[in-house]
Amino acid sequence: MADTIIDVLIVGAGPAGLQAAVHAVRKKASVVVLGKVAHSSIYGAHVENYLCVDGVVDGADLLRTAVDQATRFGAEIIAEDVLHVDQADELFKVKIESGTELLCRTLIFATGTSRKKLKVKGEKELSGRGVSYCVDCDANFYRNAKVAVVGNESAAVDGALTLTGYASEVHLVCQALEVGEGLAAKLTESSVQVHAGRWPKEITGENAVQGLLLDDDTSLEVDGVFVELGAKGAMELATTIGVMLDLDTFSYIDTNKRQQTNIAGIYAAGDIAGPPWQMAKAVGEGCVAGWEAANYANKQKRQQKED
Amino acid sequence: MASDKVIQVSDGDFDARALKSDVPFLLDFWAPWCGPCKAIGPVIDELADEFAGKLKIGKMNVDDNPATPGKYGIRAIPTLILFKGGEVVDQVTGAVGKKQLAAMIEKAL
Ligand SMILES: Cc1cc2nc3c(=O)[nH]c(=O)nc-3n(C[C@H](O)[C@H](O)[C@H](O)COP(=O)(O)OP(=O)(O)OC[C@H]3O[C@@H](n4cnc5c(N)ncnc54)[C@H](O)[C@@H]3O)c2cc1C
Repeated sequence: MADTIIDVLIVGAGPAGLQAAVHAVRKKASVVVLGKVAHSSIYGAHVENYLCVDGVVDGADLLRTAVDQATRFGAEIIAEDVLHVDQADELFKVKIESGTELLCRTLIFATGTSRKKLKVKGEKELSGRGVSYCVDCDANFYRNAKVAVVGNESAAVDGALTLTGYASEVHLVCQALEVGEGLAAKLTESSVQVHAGRWPKEITGENAVQGLLLDDDTSLEVDGVFVELGAKGAMELATTIGVMLDLDTFSYIDTNKRQQTNIAGIYAAGDIAGPPWQMAKAVGEGCVAGWEAANYANKQKRQQKED
Repeated sequence: MASDKVIQVSDGDFDARALKSDVPFLLDFWAPWCGPCKAIGPVIDELADEFAGKLKIGKMNVDDNPATPGKYGIRAIPTLILFKGGEVVDQVTGAVGKKQLAAMIEKAL
């Protein structure tokens, strides 16, 4: 393979992902971290229960130090969201916002948790009857139909672009877009009708979605509304390649004490691996995941040299 | 482990298997390319074993069987519909946990 293969690829630039990067890179693995530091849950928080820091500190300051540490040791941080993950023989293939595909030996999911519900009238009532949370799952039901996608970030834009391959009309409702240049350019070239500066007020329809009422009281006549807030979460990225979630609630990725998932070479750490949702726990799991992933990648390299 | 108690249902035998079932019937509408559908697979298997005798559980691939999902207005997967005496008594969309599904079944039994 001509492309460089990354030893440890970390999805998420919060405490879990950055600590994983520090421990992996110090084990002489090549490390790339994907994600936006300012989108970490701790970024806007005031922290006083984290060991070794005195008084109340800003999460943003803690993360700034963490980024410095990780990059100083040799990890590369790319401020882009992941759009898709695939398995490629023993490796994993990860597509990011710019359209670039990265190949890696191990993957660490450190994507945190995210809010997925829009919380507007009609959303709950029409769930499964035109309201959807997964473009990749449900696009096929909207062949030649009219649809709207709601969201400001990569999941919404990527979702709207995917839907142009199925639906006859695709609307994107967003307050202000927050996506990388590559994805933004693709959107401009596409047939997606962007309603910028707008947000939904209500999803309308009796037994099925019939429209989306916006906050300026204009209404879009659509058969489907896709709620795609934030970046794609573990549900979309990890389950497609068979990573198991906790069976009781399906809200986090199941791991063992070594932060391994059910798939060899894939690890999870931090909020995405379950409660308690605390930085100390995220950092501890990040340490273990980074350590384990680097060992796995180094062993794989040694074996391939022997073969 | 995939449970041998989970019944594969098609458009052709949907009436006979689900609507005319002697016990309540939980039907899981899924597709092979849907991640959340894969995720709930093991839960469906476990429930089929645990409720054996009191409830039947089936799976319908929506790619191969467009008619039934169309009839029930399904536009998102996974969707699970619980039938009792040929009527829809409950329905849920998305990957929901085992606890919630078990509670939904208990209520209908
Ligand atoms: C208001 C508030 C106050 C808090 N106060 C405290 C406190 O005082 N003490 C404490 O210990 N904890 C606190 N927490 C909890 C703490 O923020 C989290 O436990 C911690 O941030 C978890 O770290 P993480 O790395 O798992 O996830 P996060 O910090 O949330 O980081 C997730 C990262 O993943 C990235 N990401 C997500 N999806 C993708 C994708 N598809 N592709 C690429 N990147 C992606 C995000 O951009 C982000 O960089 C607070 C949380 C909040 C919301």
